[in-house]
Amino acid sequence: MTTDPLIRDYLGRLEASAAALPAHRRAELAREVSDHIDAALAEAGRSDEITVLNILERLGSPEEIVADEAGPGGASPVAGSGSRWGTMELIAGALLVLAWPALLLRFEVLGIYLGYVLWLAFGALGLVLAWASGVWSTRQKQITTVVVVALYALVIVVTTPTRVVVTPAGSPIEPTVTTTQ
Amino acid sequence: MTGRTGASIMRRMVVGETRDPLTELRRGVLEHCVLAVMRLKESYAFEIVRVLSDAGGLVTSEGTIYPLLSRLRRDRLVETTWRESESGPPRRYYRLTSEGQKALDAFVRDWTRFRDAVDAVFASKTDGRLSGDH
Repeated sequence: MTTDPLIRDYLGRLEASAAALPAHRRAELAREVSDHIDAALAEAGRSDEITVLNILERLGSPEEIVADEAGPGGASPVAGSGSRWGTMELIAGALLVLAWPALLLRFEVLGIYLGYVLWLAFGALGLVLAWASGVWSTRQKQITTVVVVALYALVIVVTTPTRVVVTPAGSPIEPTVTTTQ
Repeated sequence: MTGRTGASIMRRMVVGETRDPLTELRRGVLEHCVLAVMRLKESYAFEIVRVLSDAGGLVTSEGTIYPLLSRLRRDRLVETTWRESESGPPRRYYRLTSEGQKALDAFVRDWTRFRDAVDAVFASKTDGRLSGDH
């Protein structure tokens, strides 16, 4: 049935307008609209040009249909249609990623590993910026936070025992003994 | 002087920005009309569109029903089942979830109150003008 040039053109326009939708939803929408046209043709019992034009007219323009994917009137950017990246989101993402190579910096400043400080600072700042984002949904922010906090907690838990094990071995007391001459 | 100019500019801006109020109203209620059709019986998209069109042009662009149904699925207000059809490809049938039922009930209550309030205002305005003419 999609051999009709009018219908082919219409579905082509739909696919082009839907380029920004997630692939799964784009394919689903194309199928829904195509099935709708087939059902309308079957209902009409004919497929002459006038019938096809009327069916497409009743469907509304492909651009209008795709615009409604964002919500009624395209007013509210409903979450789920794929996350988008503004400047603040890019910086938040960069900080959360760069925190990890920063952890490998072994410079010591005043007895504190600079890498450790940067790792914590980048992570915290990244999360703050992520929550300040007006583009990401609350759910996306929650997921990001849980993942980041879990990774940080994991690293802290894995690295801490080595210090805990050393301390009970009595080493804090022994050095005071060796200093006596 | 400036106040009056400002007010007239604002009025022009508002009038210019406002789209057809019926289009806006239709958009606002369509979602719940779709839910109401499903409450009567499990239906597929084409059927729902036909019921709403026949009910006096509630749907102007039939294709926009698909983004709407997609949102209803995502919000878990409806659940779907694929079934074979006698003619053509399998169809996706929609029915209300208990959440959808709750959302619809709440909207029906709000809508009734809203409709009565608007009707009351319109009725009182007409009366006022009539009594003023006398």
